Amino acid sequence: MRMNWVILCGLVLLIIENSVVPWIIPPGWSDRLLPHLCFIMTLFVAGFSGRHAAFLFGLGFGLLQDLLSYGHLIGPYGFGMGLIGYLAGLAAERKSFTIGFFVWVAIVSGLFLDSVVYFIYKLFRITDLEYAFVFYWQVAPTALLQLFIALLMYVPVRRFLVKSSLSSGEENAE
Amino acid sequence: MIGLILFIALMGFTLGRNRLTWPEKFINDAFGTVQGVLYRPVGAVADFVRDLGRLSDVYKENEQLRQTVAQYTQDQIKFNRLEAENKRLKEDLNFTKQQKNMDNYRYLIAQVVGSTSNPYEKTITINLGSRDGLKPDMAVRTVDGLVGLVSKVKTFTSTVTLITDLDPSSSRGTPVSATFLGKPESFGIIEYDDEAGVLQMTKIDESDKPADGDKVITSGIGSLFPQGIIVGTVKSSQVGDFGLTYTAIIQPAAQFDHLREVFVVVVPGAEEQ
Repeated sequence: MRMNWVILCGLVLLIIENSVVPWIIPPGWSDRLLPHLCFIMTLFVAGFSGRHAAFLFGLGFGLLQDLLSYGHLIGPYGFGMGLIGYLAGLAAERKSFTIGFFVWVAIVSGLFLDSVVYFIYKLFRITDLEYAFVFYWQVAPTALLQLFIALLMYVPVRRFLVKSSLSSGEENAE
Repeated sequence: MIGLILFIALMGFTLGRNRLTWPEKFINDAFGTVQGVLYRPVGAVADFVRDLGRLSDVYKENEQLRQTVAQYTQDQIKFNRLEAENKRLKEDLNFTKQQKNMDNYRYLIAQVVGSTSNPYEKTITINLGSRDGLKPDMAVRTVDGLVGLVSKVKTFTSTVTLITDLDPSSSRGTPVSATFLGKPESFGIIEYDDEAGVLQMTKIDESDKPADGDKVITSGIGSLFPQGIIVGTVKSSQVGDFGLTYTAIIQPAAQFDHLREVFVVVVPGAEEQ
């Protein structure tokens, strides 16, 4: 992947996430649908350039996101995105990175990230909601929306951000 | 494993901290500025689209507003008379200058430049900072009512924690004391129920039984917090824990999403400190 462009893209996505997305979500859903665009980008990095890059990318942008929304503590998203970037990279190295596999990764890791963040807040006793409620109220709808956005981003990311040699090599492998 | 330990340490260290180091301030200010460039135009477009949908309601609203204005002019005359009388009485009683200025709040208008996608930290960013005299725990309101408290102050931007983040059974947040409009002795604390999505006012004394439709305002007990900001109206009430106090369910007056402009309330006494 063209790492410089990916990082620039990540910054733009982070800004869009905090400034444009809240306006697009309809009013009644504003605390249920909270897509993390940078996290989707982390999954792409995991798929196209390996687990170590994904770990660093997720860690960096997670921490940045934490800093920007700093109310109680810094770190849950840095921790969650770094960890899941690494795991997704690990999974992608075992299997070939097809779109079907990517759908699977996007949904599972979306659920996993929000669960990790929930349990961190639960650990520090900042939230006292039940997990079943959080899952139904926020985690599941967010993961579905993230899957949808990830699929929309799949083609442009593949075309513009992945080096041509790598992508043609992958297509042959499929 | 080392990573895990480091992260737990970082989270523990940053829990409940109030001061920011300069890199944090710098990053926040930089992002806040760029976000503002995007957030405001997008907000304007979104509002415009929504307004188009509500065009038919405008006539009705206009009529209502006219009635309100008529009533307001009447009240204004009464208010001016009362204020003059109040001032005269205060002078007669030799109030100090600080006491006289108590109710002269200054409103700083702020543009919202971003909100976050973190479900457990409902914060918004506004484009005023320590340069404009902001301090943590100042009240933030919209035209409709109270929305939150300033939590972290940077040089050019600040983070505002919404009152929907004040949870009764956890260790976070600054309590906001409230009272009923028309019953100045009543007292209660504003909290938010995450699951039901409504505000609660707890620890109301037995003698001040809340009635449905009562207006709830901030009581101003505590130095930085102004009094008389509308929080909401009572929807229902019940006997609280242990049967000694009342708990009222409150319909918030302000909306908490799709915010564009907010006011930061500066209490005169706090400014000089």
